[in-house]
Amino acid sequence: MKNTRTILPAQSNRVLPWLAFVLIVGLWAAVQLSSPTPAHATVRAIAGRVIDEHGEPVGDVQIELYVNDDAEPAARDLSQSDGSYVLVMPARQDIQSVHIEYRRAHFEPLMWQASAVELNDILEHGGVVLEDIALKRRFTAGFWVATLTFAGMLALIAFERLHNTLAALLGIAVIFGVSVVGSAITPSLFVIGFEQALSHVDFNVIFLLLGMMIVIGVVEETGVFQWLAYQAFRIARGKVWLLVVILMLVTTLLSALLDNVITMLLIAPITIEIALVMGINPLALLLPEILSSNVGGVSTLVGTPTNIMIGTYADLGFNDFLANLTPGVLVAEAALIGFMLLWYRKEYRKPVAKPSKALLQRLEENARIKDPDMLKKAGIVFGVLIGLFIFGESIHLTPTVSAIIGAVAMLIWVHPHIDDMMSAVDWTTLIFFIGLFMVVGAVQEVGLISLIAKAIADLVGGSPIATLLVVIWVSALFSGLVENIPFAAAMLPVAAYLTRTVAGLDDSVLFYGLAIGAGLGGNSSLIGSSPNLVTAGIAKRVDYPITFKRFLKVGLPATAITVAVACIWLIIRFF
Amino acid sequence: MTMRILCATRGGEASIHTQEVAIARAYQDKDELVFFYVVDVKFLALADYAMRPDLVTEEMDRMAEFLMTMAVERAESHGVSATYLIKHGSFPEQVVQTIREEHIGLLVLGMPGNDESAFKLAELQSLAASIHRATGIEVWIPGLNQAEK
Repeated sequence: MKNTRTILPAQSNRVLPWLAFVLIVGLWAAVQLSSPTPAHATVRAIAGRVIDEHGEPVGDVQIELYVNDDAEPAARDLSQSDGSYVLVMPARQDIQSVHIEYRRAHFEPLMWQASAVELNDILEHGGVVLEDIALKRRFTAGFWVATLTFAGMLALIAFERLHNTLAALLGIAVIFGVSVVGSAITPSLFVIGFEQALSHVDFNVIFLLLGMMIVIGVVEETGVFQWLAYQAFRIARGKVWLLVVILMLVTTLLSALLDNVITMLLIAPITIEIALVMGINPLALLLPEILSSNVGGVSTLVGTPTNIMIGTYADLGFNDFLANLTPGVLVAEAALIGFMLLWYRKEYRKPVAKPSKALLQRLEENARIKDPDMLKKAGIVFGVLIGLFIFGESIHLTPTVSAIIGAVAMLIWVHPHIDDMMSAVDWTTLIFFIGLFMVVGAVQEVGLISLIAKAIADLVGGSPIATLLVVIWVSALFSGLVENIPFAAAMLPVAAYLTRTVAGLDDSVLFYGLAIGAGLGGNSSLIGSSPNLVTAGIAKRVDYPITFKRFLKVGLPATAITVAVACIWLIIRFF
Repeated sequence: MTMRILCATRGGEASIHTQEVAIARAYQDKDELVFFYVVDVKFLALADYAMRPDLVTEEMDRMAEFLMTMAVERAESHGVSATYLIKHGSFPEQVVQTIREEHIGLLVLGMPGNDESAFKLAELQSLAASIHRATGIEVWIPGLNQAEK
């Protein structure tokens, strides 16, 4: 205490100490009365998990804890993606009652009230872990907005009214527009927030696609696709059936490791030339190649964008596909080869024409490797990339990172013209994927996916094999009719739900089933997949049109055979 | 007087008949024969995935050269010396431009030979009429009773 004798008048000397004492006591009392948590108090908490009616965890649930009849919540939390939450109780002595309110868009709000026993547990024993809180779905106007937008997007793409990317962007514009503007008018119109929609975008897929596009962009410049087709012609030495077998195997391999659309775009012209040189109908070579390209694309993680999507969603690596899917797909390819040799047997038995030297020379020129040095370097980088895919997983190197490493190596060492290579990246497709993930996220948010998944689960009655067969054949059917990428994107959470709820299913089998259905189903009709359409475009320009009917006649039985063989493989492998 | 005949061809089965008719006409009147192909990569819009239009165009160019080489060989086997032209873009525009640039006297267009032939024939006749209006030259569709003159 300050010595006030030299500062203040003499009579103050007796008052001031008492004043200071009173002040200090008063301040201490005020602090004690207002402080919620004394330094020595125990932290009390309430923990729990929020699930939906199907037992699935629900994230982003707003949870508020109220004590007594307070208007303001004493604690707040947001449930995690696994549904869990923790609420820290206030350090108050006057707690008579506790209730918790749970709120989330597209669910009925719920209130939990602590019973006397629970309240005692909370106050005396440091807290309590509640039983799972099950929220009930609420189908609002937002549900219909999201569902109709998704269906509309699929229809616009299927009937080619809009470009894929534009359809996806329109989809997200409608969803966000209604969510923001509409929900200001009526909250039931809310679908999904932007950050939440963004959380559904799988950037592993985006970057894996980006990396592979750059790698393929370099490889395709070398001329190796055309060269391989020409080698098939040389090795076959006029035996058409052998030429077909080699071409189909070459197409399968290229489609498995690179891309099936690029494979067909670059192999189709030289195949046509080979066919004309031999005097056979080009369609007798092109159609087997198209069908093989779709089969080959299914066999590895990187074979198709659909597989990339499925693999990253289900955490299936390159080796997982190699071990669990590739063998079955190779057997399906063998069955396809047999079927094609039977289907076109009359064409393949026709005598082969003797071409002129000029034509043979032109054929050889067209198949020349354009840049042998680039091919050598690209081959080394590609080999290392495959090595990274196979062995990188043991050091937690994801396929996405491997693809980026491969792409950078290609850009730095093989082809330094980054502008050219950036033009090889199909940015509109990457934006399509981003938009698609957001739209699918929206329909997942409103509960459409859960409805579909529940309907399938009810249909199959809990049988794991029946579940697998339904997933495969429904995917195969739809893939022939609609774009398989949006369909597969929507089916992923359905497959995840069924995996969790149907007993006896391996964690990954339904995802392999989806890959098979979505991939092989593309063979069933001309519009089933992009390799079909682009090859038909090329064939039309040489007056050998591949009509819808012509494709269906061979594609439908080919699909049935390959899907059936792949089904049998998965059943043997996993059951 | 020697006339230049432009034979639009795609090289397929349906085109072979058109080529042979054009070759026969050129042989008969000792006319110059030029085979014509337009490379059009609009079909790339059908794909939903990455591709390089420049590389695909290059492949289509090579294929076109191959098809035209076959056509020229066919002409030579009938004693007619022929050349070829390959253009890029839309067929109607390119054919009109070529007719003007190369001083063509007769255009031979092939009949469609697939399942949609009825529809395609109507389109072809309409195209022939518009080319005739634009250039004033005879447009002959072998197999039809009338040619646009």
